[in-house]
Amino acid sequence: MVTFRQRIVESINNENLQIALDNNTERRLKGRAAAFESIPDWRTRRKRAHAVRADVIEHLDEYLAQFIAKNEENGVIVHRAKDAAEAIEIFLKIAKNLPQRKQEESLVSLRELRGKKILIAKSKSMASEEIALNHALEKENIEVIETDLGEYIVQLRHERPSHIITPAAHLRKEQVAELFHEKLGIPYTTDIPTLTATARKVLREVFLTADIGFSGVNFGVADTGSLCIITNEGNGRMVSTIPPVHIALMGMERIVPNLDDLALMLSLLPRSATGQKLTVYTQILNKPLDGQTRHLIILDNGRTRLRNSPLKESLYCIRCGACLNACPVFRELSGHAYIGKDNSIAPYPGPIGSVISPGLFGENYVQLAQASSLCGACKDACPVDIDLPKLLTRVRAGQSPVISDQLSVNSEGAGLTASTKIALQIYTRVATHPRLFSAAQKFAALGSFLLAPSSKWIRLPAFTGWGYSKDLPKFAGKTFRDRYVKKIVESERFASRLRRDIETPTSGDVGVHLDKVEQFTQELIALGGHVYQTKNVTKDVIEFLKSRNINKIHLEPHTLDESLLKEANIEFTHEPDDQIIAGVTNTRCGLADTGSVLVADGEGNPLRGSLLPEIHIAILRAENILPSLPNALDLVKDQRAAVFITGPSRTADIEMTLTIGVHGPKEIHVFVDDSNLG
Amino acid sequence: MTTIQLFVTCLVDSFFPETGEALVNIFQRLGIDVDFAREQTCCGQPQFNAGLRKDARAIAEHTIKVFENAAGDIVTPSGSCAHHFRHNFLELFEGDSVWLPRAKAISARTYEFTEYLVDKLGVTDLGAKWDGMLTYHPSCHTLRGINVDKQPRALLQNVHGATLVELPHAEECCGFGGVMSVEHPELSAEWLKRKISNLESTQSPTLVVTDAGCLMHIAGGLNRQKKNQRVLHIAEILNHV
Repeated sequence: MVTFRQRIVESINNENLQIALDNNTERRLKGRAAAFESIPDWRTRRKRAHAVRADVIEHLDEYLAQFIAKNEENGVIVHRAKDAAEAIEIFLKIAKNLPQRKQEESLVSLRELRGKKILIAKSKSMASEEIALNHALEKENIEVIETDLGEYIVQLRHERPSHIITPAAHLRKEQVAELFHEKLGIPYTTDIPTLTATARKVLREVFLTADIGFSGVNFGVADTGSLCIITNEGNGRMVSTIPPVHIALMGMERIVPNLDDLALMLSLLPRSATGQKLTVYTQILNKPLDGQTRHLIILDNGRTRLRNSPLKESLYCIRCGACLNACPVFRELSGHAYIGKDNSIAPYPGPIGSVISPGLFGENYVQLAQASSLCGACKDACPVDIDLPKLLTRVRAGQSPVISDQLSVNSEGAGLTASTKIALQIYTRVATHPRLFSAAQKFAALGSFLLAPSSKWIRLPAFTGWGYSKDLPKFAGKTFRDRYVKKIVESERFASRLRRDIETPTSGDVGVHLDKVEQFTQELIALGGHVYQTKNVTKDVIEFLKSRNINKIHLEPHTLDESLLKEANIEFTHEPDDQIIAGVTNTRCGLADTGSVLVADGEGNPLRGSLLPEIHIAILRAENILPSLPNALDLVKDQRAAVFITGPSRTADIEMTLTIGVHGPKEIHVFVDDSNLG
Repeated sequence: MTTIQLFVTCLVDSFFPETGEALVNIFQRLGIDVDFAREQTCCGQPQFNAGLRKDARAIAEHTIKVFENAAGDIVTPSGSCAHHFRHNFLELFEGDSVWLPRAKAISARTYEFTEYLVDKLGVTDLGAKWDGMLTYHPSCHTLRGINVDKQPRALLQNVHGATLVELPHAEECCGFGGVMSVEHPELSAEWLKRKISNLESTQSPTLVVTDAGCLMHIAGGLNRQKKNQRVLHIAEILNHV
């Protein structure tokens, strides 16, 4: 049995881990700071976001009722699970009653190879970690494959994620190289693009043959029923677009009232999580796609109990992981060291984890809250301004919700060692009796003189805690209270001649107003996308295709002049086809401040056309470029499903190294049609 | 004549009385009367932070009784204790109709030392002189707990003769954290190491802090590592005329 403290020491002494964690911390902190520069009003936004989340949690029942009704209206099958067991039961029921699937021959043979096991392609979900979903499904002979690169890596290693955003943050590329060599049979290489491409290839098969696609939910929008899922790699889109059944699992608190509030959250979440203005794919799913069944499982699992406890504010969390990156404790430990008394790894690590792990799962994890200096870096980093230090002290005060059989253990000083507790209680007695206090000071001074007669410092042994890395100053022979003699002050105030020159911080430059097309172009190019301004779209797309030797495309109808394509001998199809290298889709709008384009479901399946091919060609009318995400949400409301695409698919799951082209397209080319601008 | 109540803090009282004396001198030069209530002890933050709320309440009640009938604002040379008075007192007595109003009255009168000088008195130049480099470590509870940062920096800017250099990663915790430094000494040691190596990188022989907790932690680490840098409370720098 390893104690929490032993686990801490192991982490500190693990050199690979420390290097990986330093990388994670430094890059994430820098990225976050840079991303927030583009919204100088972030403090106001953060207060607003706090208020929105507070309102949601306060009126959660009403919002959930509205959200569920909307989803049912939208054709989504909604389930509610009060705990892990119920959630898993619902899952199994769905898996065992799968609709007949129109099988293409190649897929049949693949399934036979797998021995007819049900296959689930899974996108990252912390809620699923919390209920240990994979383990439960595997026991029922259902195969679950994690498709987020980081999750895939930790699944291959039979580990749990060590970070809620970057699950493999604890590993270095050499370890991933060894793993892929051993498990996937590729030659040993530490080239991150090669490792990523390998995962892309293996997982592409999974997406195309899976019976069920599984995802979490970042936000549920109460008044439209929309599910918002954000990913960078494209796996979230794959699992919710390709398999015939999509199951989404959502913690019951992940609600925002409306699309405007969603826009507010989306301006904060990616910036806080990965330092991006928007993640590459921001999906808004309203109705199931043609031929698709969608289940939504809304999970309680302790949330109602938490909501009725003094730790309620922890439910405001939007799972960005910023507090983990900012936390000096997490920086030494990584997620795997946050263990309970029973040695199990806490489902949620870091400052928020040290509140919600005991908050949701009880006394077992209370000790985690003692590992904090209450330095407040987490509160500072939180995009919804959760007072984490206050909540940590509440956990320590035994205020986490009591879980039936653990009644007696939860008490003040929870997680504190017995000796510290006794020492502090003695000190309380001293500190409430001034004479005793003064006597104790004299006693301590005498003691420290005896311990170190000729030095200003006392060297205490390591077991005292203090003596582990520092010396203790000697108690003063004459304390302040002994030295203090009241003096009558006669001198005139001279404060008047002193300057008061503290500057109030000036708000940042308003910024040069950029033409929207220009701004859109700059933003997308910065993300590795390509933008072309044109008055003759079809001609220029043909020229681009020829330059790349592409003669077959997946084309959304009414997007290009099809007679010109025929003349140029470019073959096109309106049916999605995963063998085609380039997909051409229309877009509903562009976003100037993030370089995003909006692709919505429709005839010719543009959602797949913008997802499966290696190259996505998007046609955007210049007049459809809007300033920012909030301006575009009206366009999303009435779509079956839509996605904001912000650059090429990417990951930073291995050593925080940015790699382009994971599951979604490696290239995005936007042709901006400015013929109407004159 | 303005009078202030000095809450000297248990650490300054017991370990660093010079800091308290420096503070008294500074206020006297400014023509402000400093009162020291002898019944004061500790603010009870260690108990609060450890989760021992009943103990923390007992000490807070004692402290409130000591100060509620004493005239003037309460000034303390510790961002951490100021934070405790200002925020934790309210948390401790939440829902208590007798003690919460009394706690609020105290908390509204409490100021951290540099905050009081700059925000309340409008003083940024105390005529202090210092020869050599200084670098500033913002204590967590001063910086993030009560949002006091520009005040100590402004005061240090106006120390004549001193060269102020920025401490890299200044905002990082030094690893004191009260009971945490005893409960999790291994974690505390790592942060302390990083703080000291950042300090070394500045070449500054003197580190300035606003809290005796950080002071005794960082100075204790420096002494253990046999380093020559000194850690001083800002009151001692500002009293150097």
